[in-house]
Amino acid sequence: MRKRLVAAIAALTLPLVAQMPAEGSANASPGQLRRAGGSTPLADMASLPTPRLPDGTVDLWGTWVRGGPVNDIAAGLKEGEELPLLPWAKALRDKRTDPEDPHNFCLPMGVPRQAGGFPWRFVPYPTHEAATHLFILWEGFRNYRQIFMDGRPHSEDPTPTWFGESIGSWDGDTLVIDSIGFNDKFWWDRAGTPHTEQLHIVERWTRVNFATLELEVTIDDPGAFSRPFTLYFTARHSAPGDELKEYICEENNQFGLAGGHPNPYRADPVP
Amino acid sequence: MKNTLGLLGAGLVLLCAVPVVAHHSFSVEYDTEKPVKVTGSVTKLEWTNPHARLYVDVVAEDGTTTNWNFEMASPNILERNGWSRRAVMPNDEVVVEGFGGRVAADRGIANSVTFSDGRTGHDLRWRTPGWRPQCRGR
Repeated sequence: MRKRLVAAIAALTLPLVAQMPAEGSANASPGQLRRAGGSTPLADMASLPTPRLPDGTVDLWGTWVRGGPVNDIAAGLKEGEELPLLPWAKALRDKRTDPEDPHNFCLPMGVPRQAGGFPWRFVPYPTHEAATHLFILWEGFRNYRQIFMDGRPHSEDPTPTWFGESIGSWDGDTLVIDSIGFNDKFWWDRAGTPHTEQLHIVERWTRVNFATLELEVTIDDPGAFSRPFTLYFTARHSAPGDELKEYICEENNQFGLAGGHPNPYRADPVP
Repeated sequence: MKNTLGLLGAGLVLLCAVPVVAHHSFSVEYDTEKPVKVTGSVTKLEWTNPHARLYVDVVAEDGTTTNWNFEMASPNILERNGWSRRAVMPNDEVVVEGFGGRVAADRGIANSVTFSDGRTGHDLRWRTPGWRPQCRGR
């Protein structure tokens, strides 16, 4: 009950993206929108077709919002489903409290939560041939993620990291990102849903029209869940002309001072 | 247009139906049982992440002055809502409404900031034409 109240209040707190007024022509081509920021109202952008690169590949360019959870990763489950948490993982989730969320102290939010907040973009490594790398740039916390697109297999024993090791490929018009090598540090949501280093994530990103990017993400972590499960989120194109802004979380983070919460992630807390 | 400078908490409790984010949960730092409404003189606006902060000198009836520290949204969010780093300047007389800190008596979160002299400020009405994100399973 407490966490539901917290979630409700968190949702009340601050708007993420208030779209700027839509002005001008609604007849701009997707190319014009992409390159110049464009001026087509969002409602019309959704009716525009999925843009493609000259070689026919789906073009993921654009500034996106959402596409991941904020308060509770279970929000992405199909109706009637529940997270198949193992008993220890459920107990840990119930024990965790909001002030302990690593994200409060400017630490990463992981996959797919990092997309749930501020705007973000896919950025292919520029090359005359097929991209060998794809990056995700997240405005929130100024994080990035590297996705190898050159066909390499996963490493035998990747060092566990916040964003893991990601291998990308195309399945028709769907970008598939297969990731392992995660550490167990990030929280999937404000509810404190945990995971282990056994985590294996497969994301399937499909740009169904100009303004809509659907995510189907399958999570397999036998260390924390009794079976694999799939979550669904939808990212929307941000307002035309909306670009990523600088976000240095450490610049002036005063979290804890108003509520009296210490930083549990400091190795040597300052008195 | 009202003379509202800022309306940060629009009071919409629609989980997943409204694009929202905050660096942290509101309620772990601030107490809805402690509504705050103060009038005072701006001493500083910190246009910094993860939250912009508005500092306001408030003089009590006994003559003592408290420099309130009000948390606002990220400047990135505020700019997308029409604010700028010059939206409010030192020595501006403002009325701030919000909620007080759970343990810090001189801290709060600002829900609205209004010029006390009636000057017209920024119009921060929601600008989300036809935009409703979906986050529920299909």
